[in-house]
Amino acid sequence: MPKIEISLDDLRTLLRSSISYDELEERGILFVKGEIEGFSDDMLTVDIKDTNRPDLWSVEGIARELRGHYGVSEGLPKIKIESSGISMNVNKKVEKVRPKTVAAVVKGLTFDDEFIKQIIQLQEKIHMTYGRNRSECAIGVYDFDQLVPPINYTTVKPDGIKFVPLDFSEEMTPREILEKHPKGREYAHIIDKFDEYPLMIDSEENVLSIPPIINSVYTGKVSQETKNVFIEMTGNSLERLQVALNVLVAAFHDRGGTVQSVEVNYPRETVVTPDMTPREFSIDPEECRTLLGLDITDDEMTDLLKKARYDAKSVGGKIKVKYPAYRNDIMHSRDIIEDIAIAYDINKIEPDPPKISTIGHADKTEEFSDIVREVMTGLSFQEVLTFSLINKESLFTKMNMEEGEVCEIANPISTTWNSIRSWLLPSIMDFLCANLHVEYPQKVFEVGDVVVIDESQETATKTKKKLACAVSDPDAGYEDISSILDGLLRSLGIYYELKAKDHESFIEGRSAEIIAKGESVGIIGEIHPQVLNNWGIEKPVAAFEIDIDGIK
Amino acid sequence: MYRLTEEGQRYLERGLPERRLLEILESPLEIKEASVKLEDFNIAMQWAKKEGWVEAKEGMLHLIEKPGEFQVEEALKKVLKKDELDGDIAEVLLSRKLIEEIRDDIMQRAKKLVGTEITELPEELISTGLWREVKFKPYNVESPGKQIHPGKRQPYQRFISSMKRKLVELGFVEVTGPAIETEFWNFDALFQPQNHPARDWTSTYQLKHPKHGKLPDEKIVEQVSATHQDGWTTGSTGWKYRWDPEIAARLMPRAHGTCLSARTLASGPDIPGKYFGIARCYRPDFLDATHLIEFNQAEGIVIGEDLNLKNLLGILEIFAREIAGAEEVKFLPDYYPFTEPSVQLSAKHPELGWIEFGGSGIFREELTKPLGIDVPVLAWGIGIDRLAMFKLGINDIRYLFAKDLAWLRESKVV
Repeated sequence: MPKIEISLDDLRTLLRSSISYDELEERGILFVKGEIEGFSDDMLTVDIKDTNRPDLWSVEGIARELRGHYGVSEGLPKIKIESSGISMNVNKKVEKVRPKTVAAVVKGLTFDDEFIKQIIQLQEKIHMTYGRNRSECAIGVYDFDQLVPPINYTTVKPDGIKFVPLDFSEEMTPREILEKHPKGREYAHIIDKFDEYPLMIDSEENVLSIPPIINSVYTGKVSQETKNVFIEMTGNSLERLQVALNVLVAAFHDRGGTVQSVEVNYPRETVVTPDMTPREFSIDPEECRTLLGLDITDDEMTDLLKKARYDAKSVGGKIKVKYPAYRNDIMHSRDIIEDIAIAYDINKIEPDPPKISTIGHADKTEEFSDIVREVMTGLSFQEVLTFSLINKESLFTKMNMEEGEVCEIANPISTTWNSIRSWLLPSIMDFLCANLHVEYPQKVFEVGDVVVIDESQETATKTKKKLACAVSDPDAGYEDISSILDGLLRSLGIYYELKAKDHESFIEGRSAEIIAKGESVGIIGEIHPQVLNNWGIEKPVAAFEIDIDGIK
Repeated sequence: MYRLTEEGQRYLERGLPERRLLEILESPLEIKEASVKLEDFNIAMQWAKKEGWVEAKEGMLHLIEKPGEFQVEEALKKVLKKDELDGDIAEVLLSRKLIEEIRDDIMQRAKKLVGTEITELPEELISTGLWREVKFKPYNVESPGKQIHPGKRQPYQRFISSMKRKLVELGFVEVTGPAIETEFWNFDALFQPQNHPARDWTSTYQLKHPKHGKLPDEKIVEQVSATHQDGWTTGSTGWKYRWDPEIAARLMPRAHGTCLSARTLASGPDIPGKYFGIARCYRPDFLDATHLIEFNQAEGIVIGEDLNLKNLLGILEIFAREIAGAEEVKFLPDYYPFTEPSVQLSAKHPELGWIEFGGSGIFREELTKPLGIDVPVLAWGIGIDRLAMFKLGINDIRYLFAKDLAWLRESKVV
């Protein structure tokens, strides 16, 4: 799902191969579950489908994966980590606010425009998707040479400090940032419920940032002059942060940086990050062969895994794999088997339809609905299809009724569609109202679902199939619609009775309950002129609504 | 002026009773036998004896002579054609109630029109035969007929009906389910973790009223919960968090059709079995030319021992050919949260080129095992809204739910 922009030239440089555009589009990009959606002026727009693979959301990661598939360098990528000798101190106060942090240093970098763009893009994508819009992971990248270690991760009162945030020129307090800064307003909801806000600050009281909101101008701007960077991430799960940190430092590593670790001192323990120790998993080659339907040997399997940047070897009938620590998508052997299939190339797999013979049949109510539709069109009514989302005003007020109980949406996109219809006629009235200048008579029907409240059900509601039918014409009346109902029900072989019954939406004395098999299954009548006024309809309307299951 | 009675009409069609009697009397026949063989036997005997054509002797009937033509029959033909009839024979026919006189008022009305030029052809001219005496005004027969509006299916609904027939023909059993679902069926049973961004307010609707439903069978809930937390016995690591039944019981309008597949798996389906459902789904989107506020999804599963990726590709190829009319297909590795491996199907349409046709995969074991299924389940979904747009030649997706009656009346039936 993440859409990223990368430069084809940059990709070729990182891939150390002059891959053609066609090869990349037709084959190469499939290895990273990607699709090229645009190409102009060297810039590719790539849709990376996998929302659990942040390592593929930058050109460095894509190139790293493709180097395996194109034989440039196979197996587990080697990322060496030295110690930076610096530490970060975590104050106990962050526990209730934003408890976890990780950090790293990368030295000897040469930033160019393309590299800076990729790093910013990768951060944004991680923030959005993997970081749950910064609530689970927020990243800060700083010019290391501007900082005086150790770094302190603590909290501060909303008015307890002042600094110049990125994109601004005057000093502000954290409270002012949350109120005035665009990023402050966007992410305030993550921290504004706390008495104190998270603060990243160096040993000389230089503010690094207010995580997860904004960096300070002083340290938090990376430019072409920057050689060494300090990276920190904050969130709620150490494991989650470690994966994201690994993704980021792997990208820096591939750009020629030297990755160094930081000692993160929590009140009760010390964690050294980043930790690039490969993870291990073991798969059963037989399971792989069965699931893919491919007759491949264990050796072929380990070769394919190496192309997909795993280390793999056959041990005692199993295949033991090691995978890079920047991946957190591997939960099950299936996740690895899929990578084998992708490395094999799924378009090389011969499709083989399942040899399962079954007898198909339609759902009974659905099948009956189609019969009803056939009879209704035979009675020269036009079928219509309307939305089931509607609003309470249309369902009740405009139908001249007291407001009743209905399924209501908590987060509607618009008040026009804030409920799910409990009956069909309002949808039909809405349809007629949209066609005031179309030739009369207008004869329409719909067979569709409505939802009624029923606390006894598992979903506290019941989805019911209904038929509603209306005729509108200067001289349309009860007789017109009752003969349609009669034609329908006699064609369906259903004995029915009409029993006079008043209903707010119909003219008094001109509506009846439809009784079939001893049950009330619907209502028929001439629509009340007040209802016509409410909908702005100026021709009489006669209509009925009937329960499909009631006449099945 | 006369016209045929019902009896007269009948004799003209089948032959007079006396003619039919003579025809079976090539050789003498027992009276008893003849009476069984011949309908209207008594009437036939009455007239045949009177004319001296037959003779009854010792229980046997003998043919004496056969007339060259039956006057009565000839007369009936004349009446039918509204030709003149001479007096004697008319009396016979009247007495046999084979003809009746045309009422005077009808006659008078018809006579008034004689010699005129008529537009409509009135009944009385037909029954009296006096149409011979009038002139028919020629019409402009080349102008098209007046427009009427036949009762028609809504184009998209019609498309959905035909799609269902196709799937039934391919051996799939149709399933349906509630439009309002618990998050359990919409997400949890599909192994979507409770803190996943797809579950937040911007991606799906939630209900203000009613708020909560009930969780299903305890065993299934326990298995799903354990799978989320630590993988249970599925061989998975799980999502490693505390699963909250309160969240799972929340209600929402279903966001995809996959809940139907989950419910089917949990309901003890046939193995092997093939199931499909077409579900109205809801996601927060504004209505415009490319987005709907609600949409339809076709979803299906194939359950069976030893099913594999090759079988999945096989069934996708059949869909592309049978449903989209595609000549060529291409498989793209893809990511869907419920399946692993996952494959997207691209089909080459004769006119439209490569189109993304649907998503598919093999359901994750974290989904199938907690629902009680221990065999592979191939799962597919087809974006039928887009397919219908291609088929119906619609560029604006809102026309799938067209509110424009004039457009519906004019729409071509395809």
